[in-house]
Amino acid sequence: MTTIMENPEKSTVQPTGSVMVIGGGISGMQSSLDLANSGIKVYLVESSPAIGGKMAQLDKTFPTNDCSMCIVSPKLVEVGRHKNIELLTHSEVKSLAGEAGNFTATVVSHARYVDVDVCTGCGLCELVCPVTHKSYFPKPPGEGEEKKKIRAREKNSISGSSTIVPSSLSKWTFTVSEDDCSACGLCFRSCLQEAITWQKKEKAVIDQDKCTGCGACFTACPEKFSAITISDAPELEKSLGAAVNERSLVMRKELAEDGDCIRCGLCVITCDKVMEIGALKMVKEGIEAGVDICQVCGGCVSVCPVGFLDIKSVGNREPRLLLNSFNEELDGRKPVNIHYPQAVPRVPTIDEESCVRLNSGACGTCQSVCGVGAIHYDHLETEKEITAGSVIFSPGIEVFNAQARGEFGYGLYKNVITSIEFERFLSASGPTSGTVIRPGDGSHPRKIAWIQCVGSRDHSCDRDYCSSVCCMYAAKEAFIAREHDSSIEPTIFYIDMRSFGKNFDDYISRVKESNVRFVRAMVSRVFEDPVTGDLELRYVDESGERQSEVFDMVVLSVGLQVSRSTKDLAATLDIELDRYGFAVTDHYTPLATSRPGIFVGGAINGPKDIPETVVEASAAAEAASAGLAEARDSLVTVEKLPQEREIKADDELRIGVFICHCGTNIASVVDVPAVMEYAATLPGVVYTDKPLYTCSQDSQERMKEIIKEHRLNRVVASACSPTTHEPLFMSTLQDAGINKYFFEMANIRDQCSWVHGGEPELATEKAKRLTRMAVANAAAGEALQEMEFDVDGRLLIVGGGIAGMTAAVEAARQGFGVWLVEREAELGGQLLKLKRTADGQVFDEYLRDLKETLLADDRIKVFTSSEVIEQSGFVGSFESEIMTPSGAIRTVQHGAILVATGAEEARPGIYGLGEVDTVMTQTDFESTLEERDEEEWRHARVVMLQCAGSRDEEHLPYCSRVCCNQAVKNGLRFKKMYPEAQIDVLYRDMRCYGLGEIEYRKARMAGINFIRYDPDTNIPEINAGENGVEVTVTDPSIRLPVNIRANYLVLSTGMKPRDAEELASMLRVPRNEDGFFIEAHAKLRPVDLPSEGLFMAGTVHGPKSSGEAIAQAQAAVARATTILSRTSLKMSGVVSTVDPTNCAVCLTCVRACPYGIPFINDQHSAEINPALCQGCGICVAECPAKTISLGRFEDRNIAAKIESYCE
Amino acid sequence: MLPCTGRIDEALLLKAFENGADGVMVVGCLEGDCHYVNGNIRARARVERVYGILETINIGPDRIRMYNLSAGEGSKFAAYANEFVEQILELGPSPINVARTSTDGITSQEEAA
Repeated sequence: MTTIMENPEKSTVQPTGSVMVIGGGISGMQSSLDLANSGIKVYLVESSPAIGGKMAQLDKTFPTNDCSMCIVSPKLVEVGRHKNIELLTHSEVKSLAGEAGNFTATVVSHARYVDVDVCTGCGLCELVCPVTHKSYFPKPPGEGEEKKKIRAREKNSISGSSTIVPSSLSKWTFTVSEDDCSACGLCFRSCLQEAITWQKKEKAVIDQDKCTGCGACFTACPEKFSAITISDAPELEKSLGAAVNERSLVMRKELAEDGDCIRCGLCVITCDKVMEIGALKMVKEGIEAGVDICQVCGGCVSVCPVGFLDIKSVGNREPRLLLNSFNEELDGRKPVNIHYPQAVPRVPTIDEESCVRLNSGACGTCQSVCGVGAIHYDHLETEKEITAGSVIFSPGIEVFNAQARGEFGYGLYKNVITSIEFERFLSASGPTSGTVIRPGDGSHPRKIAWIQCVGSRDHSCDRDYCSSVCCMYAAKEAFIAREHDSSIEPTIFYIDMRSFGKNFDDYISRVKESNVRFVRAMVSRVFEDPVTGDLELRYVDESGERQSEVFDMVVLSVGLQVSRSTKDLAATLDIELDRYGFAVTDHYTPLATSRPGIFVGGAINGPKDIPETVVEASAAAEAASAGLAEARDSLVTVEKLPQEREIKADDELRIGVFICHCGTNIASVVDVPAVMEYAATLPGVVYTDKPLYTCSQDSQERMKEIIKEHRLNRVVASACSPTTHEPLFMSTLQDAGINKYFFEMANIRDQCSWVHGGEPELATEKAKRLTRMAVANAAAGEALQEMEFDVDGRLLIVGGGIAGMTAAVEAARQGFGVWLVEREAELGGQLLKLKRTADGQVFDEYLRDLKETLLADDRIKVFTSSEVIEQSGFVGSFESEIMTPSGAIRTVQHGAILVATGAEEARPGIYGLGEVDTVMTQTDFESTLEERDEEEWRHARVVMLQCAGSRDEEHLPYCSRVCCNQAVKNGLRFKKMYPEAQIDVLYRDMRCYGLGEIEYRKARMAGINFIRYDPDTNIPEINAGENGVEVTVTDPSIRLPVNIRANYLVLSTGMKPRDAEELASMLRVPRNEDGFFIEAHAKLRPVDLPSEGLFMAGTVHGPKSSGEAIAQAQAAVARATTILSRTSLKMSGVVSTVDPTNCAVCLTCVRACPYGIPFINDQHSAEINPALCQGCGICVAECPAKTISLGRFEDRNIAAKIESYCE
Repeated sequence: MLPCTGRIDEALLLKAFENGADGVMVVGCLEGDCHYVNGNIRARARVERVYGILETINIGPDRIRMYNLSAGEGSKFAAYANEFVEQILELGPSPINVARTSTDGITSQEEAA
């Protein structure tokens, strides 16, 4: 008996209404959002300093070429801002006790040295940090000893190409304090300008006319006297390090980058006074470095405004660049750094290993510049106990270490890189800002080769599985590389092209059309030409000829693997992994691990791409919360907002404008006080302010007070990006009791100070103009109401196959009523025709149990031999009519709809299928095998033909994904039952993706003969008659034609969707040209249909296995639960509204709306349901009568902005 | 900023010229990648219609252009913006502005007198 329920026996103890999610990649984020949006409290534990995972590192995504960061960053922001998700980044789970329903975890948060709650993410600390390398820190003083500077023994004099002309640009003033001067004369001796007068026993005096401000005297003066003081140094009140940085920046703007030394002295001051090393000294010819005491921190090099110093010349130890792990160590970063530009939380971490302050106690520059006091060098690791009802383990994967395949030269040859490194080269935010270069010499490569299956399908390095994603990502990278630079000639060397997913084959065709060459060959070795860095690849081509070809660059398509630390963590959690480190799960409970209450999502459950990861993540959320349904809403925070103040259209305008400094992000370029003064002159503005950080917690509190005190009725913030910060400001308005749509934002950072750094005056003008536009638009603003609708907590499921049945049972476990409608008389769908899972479990038994559970649950009402004939309403409140077999019509209400109408095996009339008994489909074979008499099969010979009527324009143009695995499964079963029987599989590409590859290998080992054919060049000749089958085909492995006489021909015909045309048009959801339903977003919303409240699961989405259909059903229930678990839903206020007085009923809006929302009501006017409107405004622009309006984006808003722009 | 370039219409585009813009750039999602399915295609059609109008009223179609970009292409945006500004600089101020300045000029001269 198989277990259907994923959760343990019902206990009498109330479960905890929270879930701990481990891993904050796309999987963990999706699980967290689905849970938190269904009334479950989430603790999201991520080991790195920011969430986002691998997806954040990718440039584009296949098969849509969507920009990865563009689609993932809204999710990052949503997770970061969610009130019911507690983010624990830079943290790890140390132990887990308890059992399903009530776990207690100990989570260790590593010291970050930056307060996450206080930091505003301005990035100033990273900007001013002078350190770039991992230092060789001097030995700390022993106990009782004083810290002493060591004297250099080995010196290196660094001189420029010409005599030094000292620059006194933004010169500091040095003076000798008479009280402290001991008259030692060291300053006098150090001064190279003869600007100091001194005589024995007399105090030194600096002649300010001669002094160039290099500070040689300052560093020469013994510390115990410290008689020389600095003045006229901006930022010195913060710290010397801050002042150095400031002067360096000012000088940099004026001076050439590769100049000779200008004796500004910043390097010497940094080394001596900031780093407290004192390895540098100014001498006549340039800089003298004490190379033996230099700690090689890079501080002197990074403050040098002219790029005179080279780190290799100041120290005699090997410089160790602090590598940027997010950029795959292709470039460097500072010890205090934000993980990546879009990171959530956007809070830096200080690297313990390289930070000078944490190791030697010197520096401290970052703390001195932090305007909100967020940096604390005394942070310690903290421990926290978390109680959770369930745990989701979604740690993700790492890439294979390509050095294990030495023959490709990774790590030895500079121009051999991995695919993830290439991804960073393509990325606009990567180390080369999106330029493809050869790492060896920085040149632009023309010929680039991709080598597939590096660390995949490879028994020799214990990676027997297929990594599932490499074929597609290599094709994508090749395609995008050509988009970046059309002179690039990519070649992909592959074994089988495994483009098995939805629309993947189409993508490969597009890539081929874009001049990407595909070569079916395994590359045996790569040789480097040591002079040119070019790479010679050797391989055997399809005709058996040995080939050699030279490329400029080689990209290794590295596979996915489970990291050592993940395996250790799995041991801590006490869950079982397979030999490769993937979680052990059952076919029917694909997300449940061996320990009850712990579920997995994403690639830990086998290699997979983003959409499948998202499906599993939602499914894991569903599986994790089903057992906690009774504790729903018990731990979540419900926000209570104050009553909104009424603001009438004719009320006097009282606009408050906040111009943000953003630390120095804005203020260093834009003259913030000038913009503020200007803003105060604009019509309607009654209050202006210029906070250091407008978004910091204290500023937000103050803003609330100001709104109340000055009775503001509009608020404008000129600050950063509305994408990240508008929701925050809007909620502050709500807290202050005014409608959030009275807020307007101008982006004077990302779109002004950050891009116009060299033109501060023009940037200030632009900031004024942007502020003026925002003020004008705010003046034209109005209060928008967010409509609230009641939600019916029931789910309508159309289709009673494995997906629909699973969904019904799971939705009931979540506590919802279910209407399950099945067209046929019997539940079970396609699974009724199949016999066994790949691991030998019998489908019939599972179906019987599932049906029993389903029928016994009084929350589920099943309608068999019935169809949905009418549907109306909108998300949360649908109404459908079901025609029952008696002809009676039953009307049901429900809050969401799940489409699971499935697919069936295709039966094309080819090779005599349906005419002669010797020809059957793969599914026919599967059931015949269980039924037919033994004698007949014992010595039978069977030929299987893959892609029979699949990937074929005349029949099914797409790949059906499951057939290769099904052929292997049936082949292995057949061989096991009748070891003497013979099987030949004719295939095009064996697409046994993921762990299916292991079965494929088993099949080959079991003696099943695989022969590759080609529909263009090597077409098998097949004659099937009542007496047997005769096949002639060339076997490429021996390059000879073979003749096979077999008893049976088994056709892998693929899957086609069931007829759902009427249903699709009734639900107004699109299907693709193959008849499968189109998801709302191919990557991130794989089970959502484009209309709100509609979901899909199973083969209606595209061909898939029963295990995948079960996961998708659970995912769809999780997505539906985000609606059904609420009593009411609030919609955005930005929706289109038709004013019926001017509507001419011309139907323009009805035709223009991409979502088919407008309709003609019984009052003879167009009407737009605000619950369904997506707020794009297309209808507003199209309406010839101008009678449709869109809140916030009315003509008067846009006109106000245009007019004020042009003022 | 708009929810979608599909929200912009001909009247608003012309309003920009009326108010003194020398050129108008419309920047939408990449074609086929519209966040709202096809709003950018509709915007393109509207921009194309505006070409005709600008031609008729002697402002010239080169003063408006639609660009397509993904959100991750900041540097490309800058390149497009520079390219378009170059183009407009070559064309000089829009005839509307030329006419206005000359009338303004007359007014101020008169005032001075």
